[in-house]
Amino acid sequence: MLRFQSFGLVLVTVLAAVSTTLVLLQPVEPQDGLQYWTFDRSHAQVASAAAANWNPRHPDLPVRVTTLTGPTLLTRMLSGFYSDTPVGDMIEVERGQIGQVFAGPVQDIGFVDLTDRIDRDGLRAAINAPSLSPWSLHGRNYGLPHDVHPTMLLYRSDLVEAAGIDVRQIETWDDYFRVMRPLFRDHDGDGRPDTYLLNTSPTNMGAHEVMLLQAGGGMFDAAGQPVLNSEINVRTVARMVVWMAGPNRMTADAPVSGPSAIKLAGEGYMLAFLAPDWFAGAIKKELPNLAGKLKFMPLPAWERGGRRTSVLGGTMVGITKACRQPDEAWAFIKHLYFAPETARRLYATFCIVSPIKSNWSLACYDEPDPYFSGQPVGRLFLNLAGDVPERIPSPFYASATTVLSAAIVGSCRHVDRHGITDPAAVEPEVRRRLDAAQAELLGIMQRNVFVAGRAP
Amino acid sequence: MKSGRPHAPLTPWVFLAPYLAGFTLFFAWPLVRSLVLATEQTYGPKVTVYVGLLNFRSILGDPMFWTAVGNTALFTACSLLVQVPVALGLALLLNRPDIRGRRFFRLAFFSPSIVGLAFVAIIFGLLLEKRTGLVNTSLHTLLPAWDPDFPWRENYVMISLVGSTLWLSAGFYMVYFLAALQNVPRELLDAASIDGAGSWQRFRHVTLPEIRPVLNIIVLLVITGSFQLFELPYVLYNDTYGSGPENRALTVVTYLYRTGFHSGDLGYASAIGWVLTLFLVGFALVHRHLTRREET
Repeated sequence: MLRFQSFGLVLVTVLAAVSTTLVLLQPVEPQDGLQYWTFDRSHAQVASAAAANWNPRHPDLPVRVTTLTGPTLLTRMLSGFYSDTPVGDMIEVERGQIGQVFAGPVQDIGFVDLTDRIDRDGLRAAINAPSLSPWSLHGRNYGLPHDVHPTMLLYRSDLVEAAGIDVRQIETWDDYFRVMRPLFRDHDGDGRPDTYLLNTSPTNMGAHEVMLLQAGGGMFDAAGQPVLNSEINVRTVARMVVWMAGPNRMTADAPVSGPSAIKLAGEGYMLAFLAPDWFAGAIKKELPNLAGKLKFMPLPAWERGGRRTSVLGGTMVGITKACRQPDEAWAFIKHLYFAPETARRLYATFCIVSPIKSNWSLACYDEPDPYFSGQPVGRLFLNLAGDVPERIPSPFYASATTVLSAAIVGSCRHVDRHGITDPAAVEPEVRRRLDAAQAELLGIMQRNVFVAGRAP
Repeated sequence: MKSGRPHAPLTPWVFLAPYLAGFTLFFAWPLVRSLVLATEQTYGPKVTVYVGLLNFRSILGDPMFWTAVGNTALFTACSLLVQVPVALGLALLLNRPDIRGRRFFRLAFFSPSIVGLAFVAIIFGLLLEKRTGLVNTSLHTLLPAWDPDFPWRENYVMISLVGSTLWLSAGFYMVYFLAALQNVPRELLDAASIDGAGSWQRFRHVTLPEIRPVLNIIVLLVITGSFQLFELPYVLYNDTYGSGPENRALTVVTYLYRTGFHSGDLGYASAIGWVLTLFLVGFALVHRHLTRREET
């Protein structure tokens, strides 16, 4: 037998054996305790601080915080749910990703239903009610909200006040564009405006969703059915597109971070931003040169007496069904999300206000912020927290966003082509495009035999 | 010379075993599974049902899929018409011995291909920005009438995509052409010159036939590569999940990804993947047939 063995064969066999042995001998990190996964370093800092406080009291079941990038967390989480690969015991999920978690029958959702725990512990009344909506399906709650993210208008107070404009006279969006119109200016005389009144554009879907939700519209109804072509959406989009296109265009898109943002903000290219609380934290870090030049005001309403806020973004924490100690995990996430210390940290570091009502009395929210011209920013956001619109999660959120975006961009092109300035004049075109978007989305949904009720 | 020792019949299989194991585990098995998946519909983590050819029938009547096919075909045609001539032009230029610093330029033109499409998308996202992007600010400086808010990404989707990939790919294909050009026999070119052929005639009747096999390979690579375009539009138009304004940046693979990983419709995504595979295999076979006929 040995006479058939070449040197190469022996070498390959030895190398294979050695490398396999080395791989098998690699130490495996012990996965003791409870695994807490998050996608954001700043969230991880807050969770780690809570874990540092928790672990000495629970030495047999310490909490380990792991930060993964957003796409990695999503992939590993879904792999865990689909294929039972190892997955965290507690996972933070961002709002744009929750729809995928909610695909399929409710009994197959990878997170533990927390509804009974929330009610048993009397927490429902303690949580800002609309902040639970993105994490709930058919009346059942699958996560605790990390935040509220009420949205206000952040404007260049230095420019506005220098022009002698009093923002208290602004109640509606029509008021806003009329009152601020003198600031929509061509400074260098090249025939092109150098200051636009609002930071949004035909392709800025985040801003569009903020606007639609504020107006009472949105993409899905409470039953999860698409409502892209609802009357309120048609009217709202018709008003938005004449701001974003055509001869009366008064908005432009600028990045909100990085060198371009710093340059444009310094030049006063944007008079105002749609700004949730996290944006306040981000802009303070990114654009220190604007200290003392910015102020918040409630969003102008669509109609007099209408809603003065909206919502953008959001995160929940849920307990996965793979967790072997759900009671302990529940105790930890309550300890983390309900603690005044967590609320204080979130606000001090990121300007994020807590969804837990008992934390709303914290003194930090009332402290004047020199960056925002001395405004008590936390209190301003909290005053609007209860009025934040509810959001309905759907596995078809990405498809809805895409077809809605195409309808809005198409309507803007129509406005550009025909030089339209009156929302009423563009309404038929907007309706036609939103009808087409609705039909397209329904087509995508009906293709699925389970959604269409055709599954055997 | 013949070795005195016969090889065991097992020996080649032992050498092949690591590759075969990897191939079976990471290619053949997923391929079979994806074919099975293409005949199923999934909903959530646990529910699956066999639907036969329903997914394929749905694809035929899916306007979004055909929009993606149209965009991808347009991108492929533009890439072919721009990338190949530019790469060949660069290679011809940098193959000339009288160009000073040609080694540096070869490296400079090739280096973008090291970075990958996702990085290119980030760079071009910045370059094409309104008001602060290098393209608009440069044009506005040179031509004051140029609108600094010119909407490259928003209104000129295909130009943005083709221009971005050109930066990455031209240098890459240039290297193939350079290698081919260096194998063109010098004596053939000299003979043509002695016979009175001008530079165009030498290129047309000597160089081009000599580099045709490489040209054919590059055409195949450009077409198959373009039909798999994903990262560039996905990053450049991330606000619309890679679809771009009015779905004008939506490619077949972006649609596949969105369907499978955003909507969770894994069966339909698999079916899209198989349609794309069948198309590319069909194209490769036609291409092979044509090039063989040409060679004979």
